[in-house]
This record gives sequence, C-alpha cells and structure tokens, in this order.
Amino acid sequence: MSAEVLSKAVNLLSFVALGLTILLIVRTRLEGQVRVFALQSLVLALLAEMIALYSGSLELLAVGVALVVVKGVMIPRVLNRAVAIIGLERVAAPYLATAPALIICGILTIIAFYVMTPIAASNPLPTADAIPLAFAGVLVGFFIMVNRRRAVTQILGFLMLENGIFLLALLATYGVPFIVEMGVFLDVLVAVLIMEVFVYRIKDNFDSIDVGAMGKLKE
Amino acid sequence: MTLLGLLLIPLAAAGLIALTRRRALTELLHILAALATLATGAAIIAQVWNGAVLTAAGDLFRVDALSALMVAIVTFLGAIASLYAVGYIRAELDDAHLSRVRLFFMLFHLFIFTMLVAVTTDNLGVMWIAVEGTTLATVFLVNLRHTRTSLEAAYKYLILSSVGIALAFIGTALVYYAGAAKAGEIAVNWSALRAAAGALNPEVVRLAFVFIVIGYGTKAGLAPMHTWLPDAHSEAPAPISALMSGVLLNVGLYAMMRFKAVTDAAVGEEFAARILIGMGLLSLLVAAIFLVRQRNYKRMLAYSSVEHIGIICLGLGFGGYWGVFGALLHVVNHALAKSLLFILSGNILLKYHSAEIHEVRGLLHAAPWTGALFLAGMFALIGLPPFAPFISEFIIFRAGLEIYPWAAATGVILLVIVFGGMLASVNQMLYGEPPVELPRVDALRFWLVPLGANFALLLVLGLTLPSPFIAALEQVLKILGV
Repeated sequence: MSAEVLSKAVNLLSFVALGLTILLIVRTRLEGQVRVFALQSLVLALLAEMIALYSGSLELLAVGVALVVVKGVMIPRVLNRAVAIIGLERVAAPYLATAPALIICGILTIIAFYVMTPIAASNPLPTADAIPLAFAGVLVGFFIMVNRRRAVTQILGFLMLENGIFLLALLATYGVPFIVEMGVFLDVLVAVLIMEVFVYRIKDNFDSIDVGAMGKLKE
Repeated sequence: MTLLGLLLIPLAAAGLIALTRRRALTELLHILAALATLATGAAIIAQVWNGAVLTAAGDLFRVDALSALMVAIVTFLGAIASLYAVGYIRAELDDAHLSRVRLFFMLFHLFIFTMLVAVTTDNLGVMWIAVEGTTLATVFLVNLRHTRTSLEAAYKYLILSSVGIALAFIGTALVYYAGAAKAGEIAVNWSALRAAAGALNPEVVRLAFVFIVIGYGTKAGLAPMHTWLPDAHSEAPAPISALMSGVLLNVGLYAMMRFKAVTDAAVGEEFAARILIGMGLLSLLVAAIFLVRQRNYKRMLAYSSVEHIGIICLGLGFGGYWGVFGALLHVVNHALAKSLLFILSGNILLKYHSAEIHEVRGLLHAAPWTGALFLAGMFALIGLPPFAPFISEFIIFRAGLEIYPWAAATGVILLVIVFGGMLASVNQMLYGEPPVELPRVDALRFWLVPLGANFALLLVLGLTLPSPFIAALEQVLKILGV
C-alpha cells in the first residue's frame, strides 16, 4: 500500500467515523444509537488494521483486535442490556431539536479544523490530514453529552468522544504505546460498567433515567 | 523492590479484603495494610531524599523527589484517614451492611493504589490510566450512603471527571507526538520528554498544555471545571472526603506540574504562567462567591479546596524560586489542614446528624474536643499564624507582588473575602445553645487521636521550617526546572 492510497483511505474512513458520530444526533431510538456506536468502533478498528499493515506494527494490529472485542462487541452488549432492562423510555429526549443540533455540529467541525490544521500541517505522517476530522468527532461527542438528557445517551456521547480521541492519537502518532492503549480500553470498559450500575440506580431512585430529574445539589 | 512493594501492598490488601467474611478480619487487614503502606512509603522517601532516584519494572516506575513528596502525602494521610475510617464506618454501617463495609475498605485500598501508581510512574500514559482509575475507585465511595443526593453527586463526578480526563489524554497524545517526531522512537516517558523538551515543536506543546490544564485541572478542582467537586466531596463519607480533598486534588496538580516542566522548557515560562494565574484567580473568585453565606459545612470545606488549589496554581504561575517553593509548601499544608477538617466534619455529622450549618449550634459545648480541634484547624485553613498555611500563603503572595502585582493584589482581596465568610460560618457552629437532647460528649473520641499528628505538623511547619524538609523541597524545585 502506498502512502498516497493510505492517506486517501484514512481520510475516507475518518470522514465516515465523523458522519456516524453526527448520525447519533439524528437517531432517536436508543438501540439504534448503540448500533451506530458499534459500527463506528468497527470502522476505527479497520482503520487501525490498515495503518498497522502499512507501518508493519504488530502492536497496532493487536490494538485493532482489542478494539473490536471491547468497543465493537462487549460495550454494545452492556448497553443493550441496560436499554432492555430500562424498558419504556427509549426515546433520547435532547434539549435542542435535531436541526439546530446539526448546525452546531457544523460549527464545531469548523472550529476543529481551525484548531487542528496547523498541527496536522506540521505532521509528516500520511495519516495527518484527517486529524481535524478526528478532533471534530471529539467535540461533537462532547456536545452530545451536554445535549442529551438520558443517562444512556450521555454514556454514548462519552464513548463517541473516547473513539474520537483514539482516532486522533492513531492519526497523529500511529497510536500510543501498546500498554497504554490496553490500559485505556480497560478504563473505558470499567467506566461503562460503572455507568451502567448508575443508570439502574438513577432509574430506581428517580423513576426515570432523565438526568434533568436530578438537581437537588446546588450552591 | 521496595517500590514495587509500595504498589503491591494496597493492591493485595484490596483483593484480600474482598475475600474476608468477618468484620473484625476486614478491619484488621485494612489497618495492617495502611500501616505497611506507610512504612514502605517512609523507606522510599528516606532513600529518595538522600539523593537516590528509584526505578522499577524497567523504566515504567521512577521515583524522584517530586514523586517522593506525593508518596509522602498519599501514604501519611492515607494512614491517618484509614485509622479514623474504622471507627467512622462502624458508626455509619452496622453489621447488617457487611457487604458494603467490605466494599468500602476494598475500594479504599484500590483508591490508594491508583494514586500511588499515578505519582510513581514515569510513563505519562500509565499516569493517565491511573488518574482515571482514581475516579473509578472512588465513585462508589461517593455513593456509599445510597441517598438520592449522593447518587446525583456520584453520577456527576463520574461523568465530568471522565470527560475531563479524556481531554487530558488528547494532551498526552499530542506531547507524545511532539516527542516522537523530534527525539525519534521514545516511549511516553516524562524523563525522556523532559530531556528532549528544548527541541519539541512549540505549537504542538502549547496546544497540548491547554488540553492538559483542562483535563487534569478537572481532577484538581480548578474553576471553571470544579462543578463536580463540592457535590462529590460533601457527599462522600468523611475519611474519603479527607483523602479526596487533601490528597486526590494534589494528584491532579502533580500531573499538571510534570507537564508544566516540559512546557516551560519547550516554549518558555510565560505561556503556562498566564494560564495558571488566570485559572487560579478564577478559582479564588468562585470560592469567594460560594463561601460567603455557605449553608453546608462539608460544602464549605469543599469550596475551600477550590480556593486553595487556586492559591497553589497562583504560586506555580508566579514562578521563580519563591513562587514555586511556596506552592509546594502550600500543597503540603493544605493537605494536612483539609484532611484534618474533613475528618472532624465526619465527627460533627455523627453528632448532629446534619451537614447544615444552621443546625449545628454550640459545638464547643456539645463536643469539646471536636469543637476545639475544628476551631484550630479552621484557623490554620484560613491562614492565621502560627499555623503553616500562613507561611506558604505569605511566601506565594510576596513572590507574586514582585512579578505580577495586579494578580497578586486581586488574589489577596479575594482571600480576605473568603476569610470573613468562613469565619462567620464557623462562628455560628461553635457557639450558641446546643440542641438540649445532645449529651456533652465527643463522637469517636479515641479515633481522633491520630489527628494529633496533622495538628503537630501544622504547628511545626508554621513555627520553623526544618532544614531537611527545605532541602527536600529544593530537590523538587530542581526537578521542576526552577
């Protein structure tokens, strides 16, 4: 694979990944949102494997496999279980409606290009062109967390943000060292399991997974 | 060897405690582990302060004087809080809640373990993992009481800290990229980055530092990322509040200091200084606003942590020998004073069953030891002589008045507002008529004895700065490039 082909493929897949993050805003049913996240994780894994083949890195190859296992299979299962147990409240209930939310995504993408283009320009790797797209994914993930009231959607926003950061590190440096990447996966997995417990506790205590129902703590 | 022992003791303790069935055994294991951690920590600190740099597991762990200072804070205050925790948890959770008692002590040691990994590793990626680990270890501790407010606090803490720390990962990855591009194949090791710092791409390092300050600043409780802090610190059980406010915030600061040393060498000192001074002043402002007429004494202590982290950031930002020296000294002083006060707040809560200031009356009469210690601790915290925080605050603002007079003067004004607000609140609690049904006795009187150590250190450091301690801090200054 030549550097030019890799660069084009990376651009395309990063674009798809950002598109999937934005798709999370359009999707209103929680099961659909979980599927979008799983699909995005698979796209990132494909990207990681391509870069691994290009750079001949066995570690990155293993990271890609772990990504499929943890974020493509395990975490979506945990989330689906949570959605099934919660039952009724499957609509995602954003603060902002879809149309203005999409406009904000556009603005965030422009900001991402503004901040990250100088960094990308100074980077000699063939994958560097897509760095602003990855950062846009981080910002949109953050926006999803702020915009959605449902605890499950907040978790999905957090995971999309994590995916964006993984992609950013992958594009800028071909991934951080193996031990760090594995530790990060472990942290994310434990965080999601803890968040799942909290979804149940919030449901039990407030009879809703609407985080807006909480609001006792002030001053 | 000792270094690996320091990390393995709390980890093994957490595992063993999870297996225990009898409460007495759980508590015994807990105390033994805390004391063993303290002893191992002391051995390591003694070696490092004699000039050694300890390493373990290849280049994964590396303890220099800055790490040793943090190890001292974690293990010492960890031991103090662990002793009190036994009595406090006995009062809070009876034998009907044994599984939660076990969970508490298990997570207590996991919490200590993650903090120790964060401050002893040389690998910035592993440090990130460990700092995220501190959040995961403490979130169930915040929610230990299963109330609605503690649930809300814990969820907010989990989400905001996770997002904050995720941003710190961007910073770490950018620094790694800057290092890998210049120094060739290096690991994400701080010592290697520090050595190569002069050659790093300044544009990348600047952007990275912004992410680092937002990310680790969230963990350190800097405004405006502090919003989880008053909730989580006030809802957690007292010994955990003591460790979160007195120790964990410093771990966030520690991470920022490591990155600041690299950033200073790469782009000059002014860049980081301006950011830290700005956020330090904002933290002081937020604390001042919420400390005037604060209605809940645990939240009062939590906002005071935002204030003190702000003061430390001002010291780091003012820079120079005295600015950074004062900041390091204030890290120690605030840790001692805040853990003392949060533990006492647990005693007040057990006595009055309320965290509202207006429901606590006549503390000095109803619980003389708790009241007297609380008053003395408060004097230390708001910076009255002869206690140590007075010295460190004086050093910091004196250094600031010479270099950044406007910022320092603003800081002093905000400090005076905080002073007045907190003194008024404490005044309401200490005097007046206690509710008639309260007997005149301290809760957990004997469990307060270890606090004598905090108190003695606050006095000693306030009256004389022992020269071995100054020498140790000067070693840290050298590491930070001052």
